[in-house]
Amino acid sequence: MSKPNDQRLGSVEMADISNLTASGNLRERDDNRRMYALGNRLWHSDASFRATGAIYSLLSARVVPVSGGDTEFADMRAAYDALDDRTKGEIEDLVTEHSIAFSRAQLGFAEYGPGNEDKIRPVRHRLVRTHPVTGRKSLYLSAHIGSIVGWPVPEARAFIRDLTEHATQAPFTYVHKWRVNDLVMWDNRTTMHRARAFRDLEEVCDLRRTTIKGTGLTAEQVPALAAE
Amino acid sequence: MAISIKDLTPGFAGEVSGIDITQPLTPAQVAELEAGMDRYGVLVYHDQRFTDEQQKAFSLNFGPLEHTAGGNVTKAADRRLDPHMADVSNLGVDHKPLGRDDRRRLFNLGNQLWHSDSSFRAIPAKYSLLSGRIVVDQGGNTEFADMRAAYDALDARTKAEIEDLICEHSLIYSRGTLGFTELSEDEKRMFTPVRQRLVRTHPVTGRKSLYLSSHIGTIVGWPMPEARAFIRDLTEHATQKQFTYSHKWRQYDLVMWDNRVTMHRVRRFDESQVRDMRRTTVAGDSVTVEQLAA
Repeated sequence: MSKPNDQRLGSVEMADISNLTASGNLRERDDNRRMYALGNRLWHSDASFRATGAIYSLLSARVVPVSGGDTEFADMRAAYDALDDRTKGEIEDLVTEHSIAFSRAQLGFAEYGPGNEDKIRPVRHRLVRTHPVTGRKSLYLSAHIGSIVGWPVPEARAFIRDLTEHATQAPFTYVHKWRVNDLVMWDNRTTMHRARAFRDLEEVCDLRRTTIKGTGLTAEQVPALAAE
Repeated sequence: MAISIKDLTPGFAGEVSGIDITQPLTPAQVAELEAGMDRYGVLVYHDQRFTDEQQKAFSLNFGPLEHTAGGNVTKAADRRLDPHMADVSNLGVDHKPLGRDDRRRLFNLGNQLWHSDSSFRAIPAKYSLLSGRIVVDQGGNTEFADMRAAYDALDARTKAEIEDLICEHSLIYSRGTLGFTELSEDEKRMFTPVRQRLVRTHPVTGRKSLYLSSHIGTIVGWPMPEARAFIRDLTEHATQKQFTYSHKWRQYDLVMWDNRVTMHRVRRFDESQVRDMRRTTVAGDSVTVEQLAA
């Protein structure tokens, strides 16, 4: 949510996953963009807060820290397959609400400023989605989920936490330790990922992401609510 | 018959046999059980058919009882049990499961988050004693995590980094995590945050442990999002399988744990079933850190 003047990378199509300011210095401890970026340490699927989500993310490592800063991935197909039949039946038709505001609120961040209303308006997604090519089902989980349609909010959140804990167990995950010039691409329709901590006030981490836009909805939107 | 304690998990959860704790105990028996608590952290007793009075009497062997006021949003008139018995059931005064949208139920869902009882009080709890009067056969396990072992397993750099950190704890934070944010002015006042050290030392064993709890909302002097991300990482570390014990309830189990060295949580269950659990809490005797003047 950085303002145009704060952007370090020229193109709006390059997501800046670094700890740098527009002038290339390390962000200060209280920098609002740093606070916002801490949300990447929660398990999520990129752009799940958009009605169409994202297909692929492609993350290129230009500068990496000496230690920490791994990116972890979790396989939402394997996590789905491992659920018991009762849970599969229970979740089959559930629809969740996603917003960037929900994931950031988990960390106590609520500074969006004016003009960002569209970006934080919740969108709806199926909890179980089917890959259009392979036909495999997967759990569509993300830290951006704030509720399940028709459920009391605390019950929904407790349940989503349980599912997330299940889905991110070690057998379903891969830990990527970055080397300079690695490019990692992943399918957001079948994975979650998160960044791990590093000494971000002392070391530079410069990762740059391009994102392939999703093309379809996973659930019908509430017309007035849907963000593009 | 002599008291014996067998390992359920190595050095953390123990199963006690050879004693009827519903009856008055000798000072020697009490001392032996307390020594067991210091060694383990969690003790399990089977087939203890407690009345509330007997449960309170057993608990009083270990110190004065904590009053339940300030720990929930249940109004006095809606309470099923007396004020020294924490009602950890899913029931209303009519002994029927609370409705899906019942405010008390939604508040109590916070027990599914890893926490240490009463960490939101300036003087937090010593022991909790939970009696399973009516249990469910599917789900509803209580899980425990050993905060001493979790502390020991940290690397030296992290130990040094956290040694003097102070956290702010409040029910407002744990409930906020689940989106339960509608609190009256009285409730907000009742849930004013308190401060606790992140690393605490057990007064008897001298062992250090991580004092974590879902009630933590920030670390003093840290930006809140950074504090929360860090506390999440520590909690994930501290609740790994090798540090935990999962208790599957049988009717009339009594499980007691030392809140100074453990976290615990309840797992999801079918809430149309009756689950009647009753907790007594032995009060702590000191703050872990100086509080702010009111």
